[in-house]
Amino acid sequence: MQDSVLMLKVDDFFNWGRKNSLWPMTFGLACCAIEMMATGAAKYDLERFGCGAFMATPRRADLMIVAGTVSLKMATRVKTLYEQMPGPKYVISMGSCANKGGPYWQHGYHVLKGVDEVVPVDVYVPGCPPRPEALIEGLMVLQKKIANERLLTDRWVKHA
Amino acid sequence: MHNDIVKFLNESVSGCEATLRDDLAGDPVIFVNKENIYDVCKNLKEGKFEFNVLQVITGTDYEDRYEVSYILASYSKNSELILKTKLNKDKDENKETEPVLDTVTSLWKAANFQERECYDMLGVTFTNHPDPRRILCPDDWKGFPLRKDYVVEEVYNGMTVNPAEKINSADHNYFQEMKEKYGDKKVMHSWKK
Repeated sequence: MQDSVLMLKVDDFFNWGRKNSLWPMTFGLACCAIEMMATGAAKYDLERFGCGAFMATPRRADLMIVAGTVSLKMATRVKTLYEQMPGPKYVISMGSCANKGGPYWQHGYHVLKGVDEVVPVDVYVPGCPPRPEALIEGLMVLQKKIANERLLTDRWVKHA
Repeated sequence: MHNDIVKFLNESVSGCEATLRDDLAGDPVIFVNKENIYDVCKNLKEGKFEFNVLQVITGTDYEDRYEVSYILASYSKNSELILKTKLNKDKDENKETEPVLDTVTSLWKAANFQERECYDMLGVTFTNHPDPRRILCPDDWKGFPLRKDYVVEEVYNGMTVNPAEKINSADHNYFQEMKEKYGDKKVMHSWKK
């Protein structure tokens, strides 16, 4: 292996690196956060997908898992946190509340009807709350999405 | 036990008009006048019943009144008490007066957050409260959400609260129709009793 040469597309190299080192932000809003913690813990072990390093600051995170009910009071904070993350950055909306308001869809005077009102969402994971398997599925969908990104048409490069 | 407490309160706090209601569903309740709420609580805490813990302060919006409930507990006597006070809605000249009550923060520190919540949700103002801010809703929130006449805001801080494309309007309209058809009577019925 000493003097071997590896030939591959820059795209694939970048995507391979990105999709296998998604660092999520330590950020939970409600009961979905408990499932997210379970997913990160020993039994389901998000680290298998390179996604287990929960960062305590948005400035070192690539992935925001919006786990729980986004109240109107929290919505502005969620937006601020998203803006503090460096690109390329991705958002998983976890659970019915973050997807579309959940059980607060009609009478929730204080609930944002879906986190996509304030931040762009890449993957929606349904469930109330979703099982850890569902979150892992959502993560794998996101990884597939990242694997198909193209550097020249990449939204992160375009806006850099 | 409750009869003893009523007797004790009427003796120690003049004009508090403590009355026992045990004919309602649920646990027996002692009603007192709102003007004497601080003295009543002080006597319950420092008197022979030793209610040293305040568990909850909460409120209810009825048709003609607000009720503020205090749930007290005594660790030394192993007893609990539900204390309530009525704040009448004064509807003279089509203008409702805002409910006002004395704070009990100086007796129990726990009252601080509980009273703030009661203010946040029902708009009951506690006089002499050390920190009379909202606790759950944002500071720039308008209205008091647990009041029966509360109307949900359309836009808060640039965010649409109920975007039309995300609301099941057929379901919403059905409830609206039912309300117009039958009125609020079914809800009102339990209040009037």
